[in-house]
Amino acid sequence: MKARITIWLTVAIVASLPLAAQAQQLFDFLGQADLPDGVGDALTLHGVVVDPAPAATPVPLDFADFEYTLVVTDLLLDVDGSPQQYSGGTLVLYEDASTAADHADPSTFTDGTAVLVGAITFLERTMFTATLGTVSGSVDWTGGAMVGLIAPQDLDGWLFFSGVNAREEQVEPGNDEVWDGKVEPHDPIVENAIMNWGELKRRF
Amino acid sequence: MTNKPTACFLATAFALVALAAPALAQNPGIDYIGYGWETGGLLPSEAGDELVVAAVATGADPVFQVDFGVDELTFHMYGMTSGGEVPLGGGAVMVNYSGGFLDIYRDPAKNADWGVNPPNAVAPATFVDGALAFRGEFTSLTFYYAADGSGAYEGALNGLDGEVIDDVCANCAYTWGGSFTLAAGAQIPDGYHVQIDGMLELDGSVANEDSTWGGVKALYGN
Repeated sequence: MKARITIWLTVAIVASLPLAAQAQQLFDFLGQADLPDGVGDALTLHGVVVDPAPAATPVPLDFADFEYTLVVTDLLLDVDGSPQQYSGGTLVLYEDASTAADHADPSTFTDGTAVLVGAITFLERTMFTATLGTVSGSVDWTGGAMVGLIAPQDLDGWLFFSGVNAREEQVEPGNDEVWDGKVEPHDPIVENAIMNWGELKRRF
Repeated sequence: MTNKPTACFLATAFALVALAAPALAQNPGIDYIGYGWETGGLLPSEAGDELVVAAVATGADPVFQVDFGVDELTFHMYGMTSGGEVPLGGGAVMVNYSGGFLDIYRDPAKNADWGVNPPNAVAPATFVDGALAFRGEFTSLTFYYAADGSGAYEGALNGLDGEVIDDVCANCAYTWGGSFTLAAGAQIPDGYHVQIDGMLELDGSVANEDSTWGGVKALYGN
């Protein structure tokens, strides 16, 4: 009898598995932006993330029990003009069950758990009129309580899109513009699956 | 103009539930996301093409007292005819649309589904079922696109019909948002040409968070 040596490998394998086509995925937000005073100054954004149903969030969020906020800080204006070019900012998605977000108190947007933390690698803001514009940029996820739910190969290059409106009827005191936008992967992602070697072999 | 129920009936029929939610902006508004398709494709937008958009509300100012646990609000924008692209320089373009309507439906079925390759079995059908909450006609609608395919839009509307109003109101609604094409890298279902994320706002101050749909109607003297 051929000696059989069975080696059990229990390895946590991080893999993205092909699943059935998924609904569109995005973090949809509505926020208020405080623009920089000039080159070298920073833009900040405080927004509330809403349930995008029937679209889905890229990682599971519990809108029934938590409020989610999205905050951008330290986004530096590199080039002024049209478009403006920014870099170096941090984007954080917070989960909080205690305080309702209130633009009169920015701290209500940064309490709770940081579920995703990202680096904004670049961002452009283009104004088409004095009050209407668009923003497009890119985010790499670098941390947060839920970053492990995203496969490593899916962490980088998420898209940051937003419409921009500077009409005074729109803007909260202390801010310059309303941003209505989203953060999304290029394509829907699957939740990071952790499995042992035997399971992985059976799948293939 | 159809025969409208009284304000009292409408206020009762609208399932008034107070929600703990922040005001969306200085004006009462409804936030929405969706996708659009244009006959002939987009971009370019050719003169005579028709743009259609199907969207869902993702938030509403507390003054509307909409319970998203019970109802969905869906948007159907249709009949907008492209006037063709106007270059703005730097690869940016502007597209003015003429005509068109924006309908909002309130529906407990919560069945909105974009599907693929519209129009299809579910789009716009699942965005036009339920009770007509608002119908507006565009008096102006303009889309702008930067060279990378990201853009924005805004439009003004007269109110024509729907539960929220008893009579026509001139220039009483404004909608705006971001518009993002495949060229920008946006996630868009097959067959659709643009992703939108916007707001519909009603002019007038949000005087009282306890207002009902009847209260909103009162903003227009209805």
